[in-house]
Amino acid sequence: MRTASLDIVVTGLAAVSAAGVGLEPLALAVQEGRSCLRPLPAVDDPSLLWGIADGFRANDFMPPLKARKFDRCSLMAVAAAGMALRDAGIDPKTHNAERIGIVLGCGFGGIANSAEFLAGYFSAGVEGLAPMLFPNTVANAAASNASIEQGFKGPNITIVQRFSSAETALEIACRFLQEGRADVMITGGVDELTPLMIEGFRAAGQLKRFASGFGEGCGLLVLERRDAAALRGASTKGSIDDVRSLGLLLPGEEEEGLGRLLPQEITPCPISLSGTADLCPPLVQRLPESGRIELHRITGRSLAMGGLALVALFLTLREGEQGLHLAASPEGPYVAIQVRGGSPV
Amino acid sequence: MTGKRIAITGLGIFCGAGKDIPAFADALLGGKSGIAPLDLFDVSPFPAQIGAQVKDFDPLDHFARKTAARLSRADQFGVIAAGEALRSSGILGQAGPYDLGVVVGAGAAGMFQSEQWLKEHLAGRKGHPNLLRGILPDKTTTVIAETYRLGGYQGTITTACSSSATAIGWGADLVATGRLQGVVCGGADTLSLLTFAGFNSLKVVDPEPCAPFSLGRQGISLGEGAAFMVLEDAEAASRRGAQIHGYVLGYAAEGEAYHMTAPEPSGMAAARVMNSALRTAGVDPAEIGWVNAHGTGTPLNDVVESKAMKLVFGDRVGEVPLVSTKAVTGHCLGAAGAIEAVSTVIALGRGIIPRTLHFRGRDPECDLDYCHDGPRPGSSAIAMSNSFAFGGNITSVVFSR
Repeated sequence: MRTASLDIVVTGLAAVSAAGVGLEPLALAVQEGRSCLRPLPAVDDPSLLWGIADGFRANDFMPPLKARKFDRCSLMAVAAAGMALRDAGIDPKTHNAERIGIVLGCGFGGIANSAEFLAGYFSAGVEGLAPMLFPNTVANAAASNASIEQGFKGPNITIVQRFSSAETALEIACRFLQEGRADVMITGGVDELTPLMIEGFRAAGQLKRFASGFGEGCGLLVLERRDAAALRGASTKGSIDDVRSLGLLLPGEEEEGLGRLLPQEITPCPISLSGTADLCPPLVQRLPESGRIELHRITGRSLAMGGLALVALFLTLREGEQGLHLAASPEGPYVAIQVRGGSPV
Repeated sequence: MTGKRIAITGLGIFCGAGKDIPAFADALLGGKSGIAPLDLFDVSPFPAQIGAQVKDFDPLDHFARKTAARLSRADQFGVIAAGEALRSSGILGQAGPYDLGVVVGAGAAGMFQSEQWLKEHLAGRKGHPNLLRGILPDKTTTVIAETYRLGGYQGTITTACSSSATAIGWGADLVATGRLQGVVCGGADTLSLLTFAGFNSLKVVDPEPCAPFSLGRQGISLGEGAAFMVLEDAEAASRRGAQIHGYVLGYAAEGEAYHMTAPEPSGMAAARVMNSALRTAGVDPAEIGWVNAHGTGTPLNDVVESKAMKLVFGDRVGEVPLVSTKAVTGHCLGAAGAIEAVSTVIALGRGIIPRTLHFRGRDPECDLDYCHDGPRPGSSAIAMSNSFAFGGNITSVVFSR
C-alpha cells in the first residue's frame, strides 16, 4: 500500500533517548556507533542491557507540581513536542492552533499507570483506588497531554501497532497534511520502560528475543506541506518522499508482498532499520550491506522507536541525500519510508 | 474526505445487546437494553454493579481450544464481529489479500486477562504467560488480519472512547485514496476491572441503567463488545454486485486541548469537530436528519453535547434528534464508536430513528429532542455519529444510506 505523490517536508526534530536529551547527543552517539545501553540494577541479569533515558528530567521542562500529574510517556511527549515546535520555529500561541495536529505512536503507554492503579485496588480494595492515576491509563494520554500543554487543537490520534507504531502514525500524519486537515503535524513515537514491563517480558519468554535491549524515549518530527513551509520561510531538515506499508507477509506470497513494500531499486544510501527489521531475513537480504543504521543497538529497541530512528536518519543525511527507513514487526506490519536530506540539517 | 465514494458492504457486531446483526437490530430498534447485573468479575465492592456484558459466551462455540487459549476476550470478540462483516460483504476471494486491510479501534483490549497476571505477580505467584498475550490492543488487529488473510494493512487506533470511530474514518480514507480495495474496520473492547474500577473511582457510573440526557442521570453504564464494517470503493462494490448498506461520507478526528477527563464546557470544541466532519463529507448541516450522540449519561457530557448541537445546527436544532444508543449497548469504550456507527447505519437503512431509553424526567439543561418517547420514522438519508474521549480526542463520522 503506497502513499503516493508526497510533497511533505520535515521542519523540526526532537529527541529524548538513552543518548541524552536533544538532537546533539543522539547525533553524536549515532556518528560514533556508541551503545548507550547498560544493565539495570532492578534486573538481576547483568548481561541484559537497556536503553534508559535517565538524562531526562521532567522538572527541566515544567514545575514539579505539574509534572506529578503526568505519566512518563506524557512527560517525554510534552517536553519533546515543545522542543520539536521550537526547532521548527512554530509558536502555537501565534500560529492557528486548530491547524496544528499530532499523530503519535505509543507502545506500552498507559500500562505503568494501569498497573499502579490496579495494585492499589488489589492491596486495599476500593479504598486503595487513586482516581488521579486513571486518566493516564489510556495510550492516548501522551499525545493528548502534549496537545493540552502545548495548545494545539488539530487532528489528534494515537497509534499502537507493534514495532511499527511511529511509522503508522507518520503515514496518517502525511495523509492529513495532503488532505488539508492541518498545516502542521507533529508525529513520531514515545515509549517508557518500567521494571514491571521487564517482568512481563520475562514472564512471556521475550527477554532473550525481541525484548532484550528494550529502550525508552521520544522521537518527534514536525511535518508540513512544502508550499506552506516555504511560505513561512522555514528551513527544512529533509523531506518525506514516499511511504509504503504492508499488513502481513503471507506464507507462500512473500515475494509479492515485498514487491509492494520496497522500491523497485534500492540504491546504496543510509538505511535505517527499525523495530525488528534487522531480524527479518527476506527483508534484509534485499538491502545493500553498507550504510545500515540500527538504532536499537545504540538507544534500545521499542515499539515506537521509529520516531527516534527517523530523527537519527535525518540527522545523518547530507543535503539532498536519499535515505530509506524500514520498520517491521514479527507479525507485521511493515513500513518503508523514503526520505531525503534537507538544508540545513 | 477526498477521493472515491466509500460504500459499506458488510456489517458485524457482537455485544451485550446482540450477538449478530439481526439480533442487535431487534434490540436497537425495539428498545431492548443489554444492561444487566455483571458476573464477569467481582463487582460487589462497587456502588454500580451493572453493565452490558456479553452473557453466555463460550469461546469454544467459535474457536478451537488451542486458538481460544491464545486469544484475549477482546481478540475473540473482534474476530467474531469482523468475520460477520467480512462474510456478509462477500469481499474475501473477490479481492487479493494484499488489497485488503484491517483497522481496529481499541481500548483496554486484553486487560481483563492481563490484570489477572498482575494480581498473581503482586501476590508472588507466577501467572500464566498467555494472560499477557493480548495486553497490547494491536493483537486484535493482527489476529483479525491472520484469521482472514488480510495482508494489505494493519492499523490500531487507541484514542480511548473515540478509537473505533476514528478507525472507521481512517479505514475509509485508505480506500478513498485507492491504497486498499477494501478494509474491515471497527473496534473491540471488553469489560475489565481496570476500567470498571477506574470509572467508579471517578464517580461517573450510574448505579441504575444509564439514562442519557435525562433528569437525575448519574453517569455511564459500562459495556463490552465489537463491531466492524467492510468499506469498499462504491463503484467497485456495485460492479461486483455487493449489497450496499450505506456510505461513509466523511469524518474528523481532532483534539480539544482542554482537559484529560472533562469536556471543553462551551461545546465549541465538539461543535468544531462536527463541523469539520460535515465539511469533509461535503454535507450541509441542513441535510442531517439526526445525530447518534456520544451521550454517555454523565451530567457534564450530555449538557456539553447539547450545547454543541445548538452551535452546529442553530435555529434548526429542534428538528435534529440527538439520540444516545448507549442505554441499549452500554458504553463500550474502545468499541463504542464502531457499535454506534453500525447502529447508525442499521437505523438509516430501516428509515427509523432509534429511541434513547431510560427517561427519568426532563433536564432543563438538556432541552433538545432526544427521542425519549420512542423510535420514529426518519426520512433523512444522512446522520452523524459522535465519539468523545478521554484526552479531548473527539471524532465525528457522517453516514448516509
